[in-house]
Amino acid sequence: MMTRHAIIFCWVLAIGLALFLLLPLVVIAAASFSPTPVFDLPLSGASLRWYGRIGRLDGFWPSLSLSLQIAVLSTALSLVAGTLAAIAIARGRLPGATALGTLLVSPLMMPGLVLGIALLQYFRMIGLTATWSALLVAHLVVTLPYVARTMIAGLSRFDFTLIEAARTLGCTYAGSVIRVMVPALAPSFLISGLFSLLASFDNYPVSIFLTDVRSKTLPIRMLQYIEEAPDPTLAALSTLILAGTLVLLLISDRLVGLHRMAGTAD
Amino acid sequence: MSEPAPHLVISAVSKRFGAATVLDRVDLTIRRGELVTLLGPSGCGKTTLLRAIAGLSPPDTGTIALAGRDVTHVPPHRRNVGVVFQSYALFPHLTVAGNVAFGLKVRGAPKAEIDRAVQRALALVKLGHLGGRRISALSGGQQQRVALARAIAVEPDVLLFDEALSALDRKLREEMQIELRRLLQDVKATAIFVTHDQDEALTMSDRVAVMNKGRIEQLAAPRELYARPASLFALNFVGLSTRIAGQVVGGQDGMVDVVTPVGRLSARGAFQLGASVIVATRPEQLRLGADHEANSASGRVRSVVFQGSRTLVDVDAGAGASLLAELSGREAEVPRVHDEVRFAWPAAETFAFAAEASP
Repeated sequence: MMTRHAIIFCWVLAIGLALFLLLPLVVIAAASFSPTPVFDLPLSGASLRWYGRIGRLDGFWPSLSLSLQIAVLSTALSLVAGTLAAIAIARGRLPGATALGTLLVSPLMMPGLVLGIALLQYFRMIGLTATWSALLVAHLVVTLPYVARTMIAGLSRFDFTLIEAARTLGCTYAGSVIRVMVPALAPSFLISGLFSLLASFDNYPVSIFLTDVRSKTLPIRMLQYIEEAPDPTLAALSTLILAGTLVLLLISDRLVGLHRMAGTAD
Repeated sequence: MSEPAPHLVISAVSKRFGAATVLDRVDLTIRRGELVTLLGPSGCGKTTLLRAIAGLSPPDTGTIALAGRDVTHVPPHRRNVGVVFQSYALFPHLTVAGNVAFGLKVRGAPKAEIDRAVQRALALVKLGHLGGRRISALSGGQQQRVALARAIAVEPDVLLFDEALSALDRKLREEMQIELRRLLQDVKATAIFVTHDQDEALTMSDRVAVMNKGRIEQLAAPRELYARPASLFALNFVGLSTRIAGQVVGGQDGMVDVVTPVGRLSARGAFQLGASVIVATRPEQLRLGADHEANSASGRVRSVVFQGSRTLVDVDAGAGASLLAELSGREAEVPRVHDEVRFAWPAAETFAFAAEASP
């Protein structure tokens, strides 16, 4: 039975790949609970001491604050600008709408390093020297494509006859948009927001060119820690970030379904 | 029985999109409880007229009155119309019951009343057991029924169907035509269908409006539309026919004599001598054999198509003219291909139309 063997082979391959992808995360999580500074197998017990140390890391709180500020703000701005741009591209009769859409999404296809260097040069040229503003604008460039791409796809799937149907059933135009279009596009909105948040929060290659000694985003600060003192504190921090991401993903799954995020929906 | 009062009155409605005149001074009066179809090819203005009635695309000029109220410039949400769209336009984030309840919720009806109306509407379309389903879990036919229930639930003054059955497969569509007509008659709904499907128009409606280039060419009951087409366009659009070009050489009392390549024919119509006309008749009027009281023509059989209850015979009558005859299944003698045959048909069932008005 060839097919039976093929199926078993595929399962083994799939499980093997999943393990390969997930194992580093498991190791990190396990190491974060290690009672000794050096991670050893078998575990000789469990401890939360490294978690207690996170807050005492040099410059941790300012970096976390900076990363969260930039992530939340760039996501919020991207959602507004990206959604409006998507409406114009998917709905308006703009000449070259397709080209414009591709242009909006193009930073996604560019290597982060190139983007980082380019932005650094550009910001110097126009005299934008404040780190915070430069980071925000740069992250906007990184996050906008996620929102634009997802919202254009969501809008082009949206049947505008639904709005007409709602109007004939007694809704005003604005009421129809709120009752019909918003719920229909909410999943796209939420998903693109989540992606944008994560893309900004863990961005390294673009940020590295724009930060200075005093203001570093969390990923850059973390690399500095690991060069200075490689102990499980960093593993604890990574595990917390991982847990936070998982919580976000689970919430999104409850709200709209994870399969949509994987892009496998309809 | 007294004539019911006009329920929907469309007067001199025109609409232009850029340089194109989509509706050209259309008049149409519909009585309460009447089922009317707007029939025509794509681009004839039928959907635009429907959208004007729904308020989704108001006319440039003219007036529309519904249930005794001028609604020409009333927005759709204050018109009390029900629309069943071609794509059904069901709300994907709501359940079946949620879709049907939508119009009543928007109107702020009390919950108990909404529940009752939803149950009633779903029972009417035989989906009472599927209220909790998601829309994506329904078949095309079921979605069509939900769209209908949603439109009926608000008890609209007029129900509008925009090619509503065209997405169904043929068998289901034919079943739905008959069921839908019965249902609409049961609830005494006034309804307007838009379609390009002549069978649907003949099956569903009390009257059919044949539309062409933004105008109503003929408004008549299905039987009359078929038997007495008012124009060459109406003749061509509904049913099959034999059409032969010729010249008027005489006439009196609403009949004309026409010289054609297949001989002299008599037809209904009033034309000046020498006018170029098309003489036409329906295929079931043709009978095998000669008849000196009637029109007749002969030729060689080109094809014989057996269609179960009927057989279509296509005859090459020479000089580019052809005859199309429909023989019922009961007729014993059916000619074969290449047979020389003669067909006769009554002059009273022959029509003459001006030749230049070809569609």
